[in-house]
Amino acid sequence: MTWILFLEQALNGLQFGLMLFLLASGLTLVFGIMDMINLAHGALYMVGAFLAAWLAQLTQSFVLGILLAVPLTALFGMVMESTLLRTLYARDHMSQVLATFSLILIINETVRMIWGTDMPLAAPASLSGPVELLPGLYYPSYRLVIIAVGLVLAGLLYLAVTRTRVGAWVRAGASNREMAMAMGINIKRLFTLVFGLGAALCAVAGALLGPLMAVQVGMGETVLILAFVVIVIGGIGSIWGAFVGSLLVGFVDTFGRTLMPALFREIFPPQVASAAGPAVASIMVYLLMAVVLFLRPQGLFSRR
Amino acid sequence: MSTQGPAAVLEIRKLVKSFGALRATDGVSLQVRPGEIHALIGPNGAGKTTLVAQLSGQLRPDEGEILFMGQVINDVSAHARVGLGMVRSFQITRLFKSFSVVDNVALAVQSLQPQRGSIWRSVAKDQALYETAMALLKKVGLAERAEQLAPALSHGEQRVLELSLALATEPKLLLLDEPMAGTGPEESQRIVEMIDSLRRDKQMAVLLVEHDMDAVFRLADRISVLVNGALIASGSPEDIRKDPQVRAAYLGDEAVSPAGAPA
Amino acid sequence: MQLGPSPASALPKPASWPVWLLLTLAAAALGFWMHGAGLDYYLSMISRMMIYGLAACSLNLILGYGGLVSFGHAAYLGIGAYTVGILITEGMPNGWLGFGLAMVVSALLALVIGAISLRTKGVYFIMITLAFAQMLFYLVNSVKAYGGDEGLNIKMRSDFGLGIVLKNNLHFFLLVLFCLVVCLAFMHMVMRSRMGRVVLAQRDDDIRTEALGFAVYRYQLALFVMAGAIGGLAGALLVNQQNYVSPNLMHWTQSGVLMIMVILGGVGTLAGGLWGALLLLTLEDLIAEVTPHWQFYVGWVLLAVVLLAPKGLSGLPDLWRRKPTPPSGGDA
Repeated sequence: MTWILFLEQALNGLQFGLMLFLLASGLTLVFGIMDMINLAHGALYMVGAFLAAWLAQLTQSFVLGILLAVPLTALFGMVMESTLLRTLYARDHMSQVLATFSLILIINETVRMIWGTDMPLAAPASLSGPVELLPGLYYPSYRLVIIAVGLVLAGLLYLAVTRTRVGAWVRAGASNREMAMAMGINIKRLFTLVFGLGAALCAVAGALLGPLMAVQVGMGETVLILAFVVIVIGGIGSIWGAFVGSLLVGFVDTFGRTLMPALFREIFPPQVASAAGPAVASIMVYLLMAVVLFLRPQGLFSRR
Repeated sequence: MSTQGPAAVLEIRKLVKSFGALRATDGVSLQVRPGEIHALIGPNGAGKTTLVAQLSGQLRPDEGEILFMGQVINDVSAHARVGLGMVRSFQITRLFKSFSVVDNVALAVQSLQPQRGSIWRSVAKDQALYETAMALLKKVGLAERAEQLAPALSHGEQRVLELSLALATEPKLLLLDEPMAGTGPEESQRIVEMIDSLRRDKQMAVLLVEHDMDAVFRLADRISVLVNGALIASGSPEDIRKDPQVRAAYLGDEAVSPAGAPA
Repeated sequence: MQLGPSPASALPKPASWPVWLLLTLAAAALGFWMHGAGLDYYLSMISRMMIYGLAACSLNLILGYGGLVSFGHAAYLGIGAYTVGILITEGMPNGWLGFGLAMVVSALLALVIGAISLRTKGVYFIMITLAFAQMLFYLVNSVKAYGGDEGLNIKMRSDFGLGIVLKNNLHFFLLVLFCLVVCLAFMHMVMRSRMGRVVLAQRDDDIRTEALGFAVYRYQLALFVMAGAIGGLAGALLVNQQNYVSPNLMHWTQSGVLMIMVILGGVGTLAGGLWGALLLLTLEDLIAEVTPHWQFYVGWVLLAVVLLAPKGLSGLPDLWRRKPTPPSGGDA
């Protein structure tokens, strides 16, 4: 493996990891503060992508598409939370799993009814070319933009959670809900806000990844599992854990897919390598999770 | 290692348990002899429940040894300790909410059976099990409630049931974690009588953790006092009542009344 | 006085063997009649529903009775199906070998997955069972030799000898019926046994159960293995019914579908999974005739059931009588 290839894959891993972080951060907050398993989180990611694709078509502008899709998705998320999800906070995890699973079915079909099974979403033409980062290392400028946006949002989220009053409330709620309530924080509004923020972040990820990964019904399910793996690795309720976990998962998955088959071809005979290589590559992330859970069952940075 | 005269049922040697900077158990050593009711008292936060949790196997001590019937049991799992003859009751009532009163007790009796987990033995055919369970319920006065679901009982009755579950396993040592917690005067009386009858009926040793001083002084053969994780005194009720350290640390200026007499 | 478990307790009620026998004979008779009347298409459909019912009942063993929210149960279905499918593809269509191996492999898998997963609790347990199922999905997906993501077609059904021809829809239906009844009887026996009582107790309070001297982990694991084996059996039946198996059978969303069946039919009841499967698949077929968006309507039905009737169909009589439902199991 050449240096160029390695750096390229590293950047891909970073890009994927950052987008995962946008999903995982919302998920871990909802889980940490409201103690609710929300399987419909992936559906919000899908809705964001579809809205962006549709609005981009209407306005003929990719940027406008995203800028409009994000608040709309946030609004959708907040409505969903204040009407349906609120009743689930007091319920057991199994009920939450089943209820949010049914929401996936409903949202998937609704999207299909409105827009069909998939929609095209193209990156802006100005970003279609590669950028020469280092002599010989060409990287798509669009992916660089994704990395930039991801880092900026991560930074803003970090600042918001650690430096603002609302952020302090969120952190308080994540470690001890009853205490937060006793301190007079309006828990209901906080929950809705956190949910809306999570939905907004999902929309950004969905819209940005759309051109790369195809905007289609069911895109949420694949990425949802990875987001859950991230928060389990990182520790439920911890934003920092979600960040570290996302990057870990991003790198392991990306390198796994490229390195594993190559490694297997070096070591094993061709028949074994061609079968086992891709197989092992696809499960690397789950092996990572198993290892982390074995060593530290509550996740790397758990607050509980 | 010397062998004691009448071998101690439970012996704790220099037990230590820390949670970060907090030493919840600070070098505790004590013994419980067969047939003895040994009370453990101390202010809130003294570490009584932590100690009980280490004895029953839910927590691992950092240092020290726990010996049951002369055998070191530090590495014995919680459920296996019950098999050896040590069982605990819980401070917060833990009952099987979807089971009736008699089914709760029947499960406890079941754990004594050699084939306690068999898939081939139908519960309906376990006549002997239910007879034992009903006999125990009669003894503790819950026989009329046998068919009712556990949550239907009053709080006091639930505490009695909680205690009965532990008794049903015919233990050599009973670890009672505040059995009187939250009970009214009539129910506490019932529980006190239950524990008292244990002394008479069987050679059952009891480690009783309690706040209810009337009960403690009425029941205890010996009392140990735990403050901030360490034992500051251990001896007969008379000795404890007179011990100045204990009075200062725990009993304060309250006139400590003998059991039964008005305060 | 005959002493025994209280009627109020959560243990399954004693079986009325005459009723069971009657129902089984009636079902068999129905099969004979449908086959004779040329309604093979519908007979095949019912067989399929019963297979899913069997799978859902096996999930109910760990979910409803055990209180363990396992989100990876479809894995056993898939492994059982692939075991039989691969054997047939490799020229070994013997049904006894295929079905037997399917159950053994699924049981072993459940043993490994359960041994690791049951060391965790709460959401971590849910996640790790889900992760294992996804691992298997991806593994199977990448094995090109047996179809990979396109799935595996099998050219013939399992051969049991003894004059049983599975290609005959009636024979197949009777096989499914047989498996279903035997498994339900087994599960009933287990839940009415001493082990069953321990299982129900640990669902209410695992710490208390442990504190009474039961090694809860072992009981959970045993239950897991039983459920896995029966799931594998259902898979073996399914691949025969469809003449096809794909990795999608093992996707986590399929586990979700099984959970839906369990909750629709009634969590923690013996045949709840069967009723739930019948209901869900019938609904699916009916609605699919009218609109391709049947998942939309099913989603709303499920949501309503979860929010309003948490005990599923079996809990409906309680709702009508306005009796408060006893506290549900799940994680404390």
